[in-house]
Order: sequence, then structure tokens, then C-alpha cells
Amino acid sequence: MTVAALDTRTEAMEHEDARDSRKLGFWLTLPAQLLVLFIAVFPILMQVYISLTDWSPLDGIDWWQAHQLWNTFANYTDLLEDNRFWSALGRTALVMAICVPCEFLLGLGLAILFVDNFPGRRFLYSVLLVPMMVVPAVAGYMFFMLFQSGGPVNDILSFFTGSPVRIAWLSDPDLALFAVIVSDIWQWTPLMFLILLAGLVGVPEDQLRAATLLGASWTTRFITIVLPRMKTIIIIALAIRVIENFKVFDNFYIMTGGGPGVATETISIYIYKVTQQELIWGYVAAVALVILITLSVVSAYAIKRMSRSRELSR
Amino acid sequence: MNRSLPFEIFRYAAILSLVALSLVPTLWMASMAFKPIAEWSATGADLTWWPKSPTLDNFRFLFGESSSELIVALDRTAGQPILSSLLSAVFGTLIAMISGTSAAYGLSRFGSGGNLPLALIQLRIFPPMAVMIPVMIMWAFLGLIDTWYGLALVYGIVTMPFAFWLMKTFFDDMPREIEDAALVEGCSRLRVFWKITLPMMRPALASSALFVFILNWSDYLIALLLTTRDWVTIPVYMASLSSSMTGQLYGAKAALGLIAAIPPVILGIAIQKHLVRGLTFGALKQ
Repeated sequence: MTVAALDTRTEAMEHEDARDSRKLGFWLTLPAQLLVLFIAVFPILMQVYISLTDWSPLDGIDWWQAHQLWNTFANYTDLLEDNRFWSALGRTALVMAICVPCEFLLGLGLAILFVDNFPGRRFLYSVLLVPMMVVPAVAGYMFFMLFQSGGPVNDILSFFTGSPVRIAWLSDPDLALFAVIVSDIWQWTPLMFLILLAGLVGVPEDQLRAATLLGASWTTRFITIVLPRMKTIIIIALAIRVIENFKVFDNFYIMTGGGPGVATETISIYIYKVTQQELIWGYVAAVALVILITLSVVSAYAIKRMSRSRELSR
Repeated sequence: MNRSLPFEIFRYAAILSLVALSLVPTLWMASMAFKPIAEWSATGADLTWWPKSPTLDNFRFLFGESSSELIVALDRTAGQPILSSLLSAVFGTLIAMISGTSAAYGLSRFGSGGNLPLALIQLRIFPPMAVMIPVMIMWAFLGLIDTWYGLALVYGIVTMPFAFWLMKTFFDDMPREIEDAALVEGCSRLRVFWKITLPMMRPALASSALFVFILNWSDYLIALLLTTRDWVTIPVYMASLSSSMTGQLYGAKAALGLIAAIPPVILGIAIQKHLVRGLTFGALKQ
């Protein structure tokens, strides 16, 4: 009916409508465009400018006059020799290399257990999502309490070993790194679980049933039917966690402040500390820009590849 | 898939132990929030897992009432940080939803927006710490440091990509026949959007707004950078709670943590259905 109705519209009306649509589309997207301009484009230009100077908020020089402290590319060459920066970057990669696979495997395992219905499924599902919704800074504080030397983790260990355990988790460099990683896995395994379960539930049941009738074992079915169907979803889930894990700040900073020493200093904590404590903002701007440019290039490439493979699969 | 009895036993054992693990940290904080100062940490050999003499002193302390045991006085109560968190998260959500929803409609129906979608994905990928330096300078210049509206503006921009992608998928899902019928009746495009599409989208708008609110409420880093005293949010205030006399104010912090943790958990469970869509930027629908 609507198609027939549309056909009766005159060409002039169509033309007018197209113009109206364009106009309305422009005005509707304008606020978002302006906000992006305001927080992304303009600040990044500003950051490029400041990164070429020795500017710091304590100099008493307004930022637009930072050219008085021009140092060309000194910040960028300093960066190459900044061991603290490179070790923070390496530590971020290490944390990611441990957290993301653990979260993925735990989440996938849980998702497999949740695929078909059982009594209490809905309730347990909701309960499992709770960690993900706790404010990350609060989660950091929870784990700060758990890992105190007089805290519950040591209490449980004492119970099992039979002698009082007083490990100072957060003041030993290796143990502190372990503790912050545990807090990350605790908080974000539910996210993997949620996304992977949505993917598993979407695998067509008739295919699985057919395969079962043909005598395929659970493992074969999983590898030949489920995994290929889940490919995109797995990539999305991993990509989200890699992106978020790279930014990690809140729970780590609350638990250890990046310490002891620099033992748990990730890239975000490094930038924060240099900004707040050493106040050399020209240099920090350079560090931040290098990260932003790298991420833009990598993400633009990844998005292009993903949208291409999506078009191919259609 | 598999239905044998040993498998069922294994399934329940595995799930229940993981559920227990995922609840312990939250329960520990909840129990800490009701513990009197004597039970805060294990000085001797035994640790109290459940408050022996539960008390509301920690909550009273947060709101400025000094108790017999906690003689330290706070220089400011938790009231203002709670207000700050609420105001900045609510107004940040409004900014994100208004700009994100209209842009999503523009893109979904008229293909407007150019490279906005890509820009918004990249905005999401950037670590906030790496874009905040110029923002801090700009905010200082504009006098927006330590104000709830300055914070709300940043929240609005940071979470707008989520509002945009969520609403775009909802608009894409909506059948166009109804809109087309109204157009034939002679409604203008804008009127159709305002009078027909938006009212139909009410549930989608509500769950997107709640999702964005949770994100804003959960922030710590941005508030840490942009507020200094008067308008610090709950997490920033919580981190500053410690005193030279009692050291870490475990109980009081736990009470505040509980206050901060409750809204997102309840709202998150309420919008469970749309969580996957929101978290994956609309790439996946449950």
C-alpha cells in the first residue's frame, strides 16, 4: 500500500523532499560534528603545537605563546631515550597479553556452560554480570582491601597453609602486578562472557543437531560449526578488550598508584604522573601524540579491513 | 549440548564457584561498610568476615556526623561529591543523547555526517589520558575547571559515540513504512522525526540513556584531571579519604564505594537486554 502511495507523488515533490532531507540531515548531524571538532580536532592541533615546545603550566606563559619555548623536535628525540616510557609501554603490552587471553578463555568457558537452559540460568547470568558494572575505581578499592597484608586474601591463604600468612601483596613489585591483573580479569571476564554468549546462542541449532545425528563429537561440532560462525564476534570481543585494556588506569591507579616504584605503571598512569608531578606538558603532549597517531593508523587500517571482509561475506 | 549427569554436576560446580569468586570482592566491601572501626583490619590473627557488631557509623561519618570511635572530622562531607557525580553524569548523558541521537537519525535516514562515524570510533579508541592535556588547558582558559558543567561537557563528548552508535542501530532496525506513510500525509521530515519516530523510540532512548549514564557515572580519570575541590566526584573524593590518625578509613571508603556501586549495578541489570549492543557499538545485537 505504501509503495503505491509513494508512486503517486510527483517528481517535484520528490525533488523538494530530497533537498529537505539533505538540509535536515545537515542540521541533525551538526551538534555532533561541532562537539568532535571541539574535543578532538582543535585540541589535537593544540597538542601538536605544544609538543614542539618546552611549555609547562608553571612557566607563567600562556599556552598560545608557547612558541617562545620552541625546541623543534627535542621532545620527540627525548622520547626515544625515555626508558620509563618504553617500559610503561612494554608493561601495558604484558598486562594485555595476560589479561585478554585469560578473560577470553574464562568468558568462553562460562558462555559454553550457559548456552542451553538450566534451572537458575537467568539469575546466575545476572549475578555474573555484576563485576562489569561496578565502577572501576571502586573495584580498584575493593581489590586494594582484599590484598592488604591483614586482608582476606592472606586470611584464606593462612587457612589453607595452617600458619599465618602476611604477604604484602601491593608493596612487592611482582605481586603487585599480579594483583592488579587479577582485578582486571575479575572485572572484565563478564564482558567477554556476555558478548561470547550472545554469539554462541546465535549459532543455528538445526546445523548442530544435524551434525550430532551424523555422529560428530562435541569437539568436532565446536571446531567445525561453532567457531567459524563466531569468528566476527570473537574478533569484536577481543578488539574491545584490547582497546580498553590499553587505556587501563582507574583500578590500577587506586590499587597501587603505579607503584611500588614503577612496577605497575601502565602507559596511562605514566602520562598522568608526568602531567601531574613533573609538569612538563610539552613533553607529555609529544608522548600523547605519538600514541594517538599510532592508534589512529592501526585502527583506521583495522576498520577498513573489517568492513571489507564484512562486505565480502555478504 | 551434552546432557549426562556428570556434566550437569560439573556445570553447576564450575558456575557456582565462579559466581562465588565474582561476588567475594563486592560482598567484602559491603560487609566492610557495616563494620565498626575495631573490625576494619586484622590486627591479631583472626579477621572478621561478617561484621560482629554491625553499625551504620560509616555512613553517618560520611555525612558529617562524628561518632564515638571515629573522632577524626572530615573537612567536607560526601554530600557534595554525590551531587557532583549526579549532576555531571546526568547532564553529560543529556548532551551525549541529544547530539548522538540526532546525528544517528541524520546518518540512518539521510546518509549525512560524512566521516563522523569513523571519527566517533576513533574517539572511542583513544585513551582519554592522551587527549586530556589540551582539554585541561582549554578548560582552565574557559574557567571550566572544577565545575560540574565543565565535567558534564567532557562526559557528553566522550560518551556521545556510544549514544550515536546505539541509536543508529535502533533507527536502522525501525521499519520505515510508518514514516513514509506520514510523509505522504504531508508531514515535514522534521515533524515526522519529532512526532512519530522519537515517541516510537522511547524504550530505545531510555536504555541508551541509562547505558550512557552508567559510563559517565563510572568515570574516575576525567574527574581526577578536571576537578580539584568543590566539584570532585565520588571516586575522586573516595580516593582522598584517608587521615593521618586512622590511616586508611576502610569502613568509610567502603560505605562510599557501596553508594557509588549500587546505581550502575541496578541500572545495568535493568538494561541487560541491550548491554551487548551498547558494548559492541551496535555491531552485535542480542
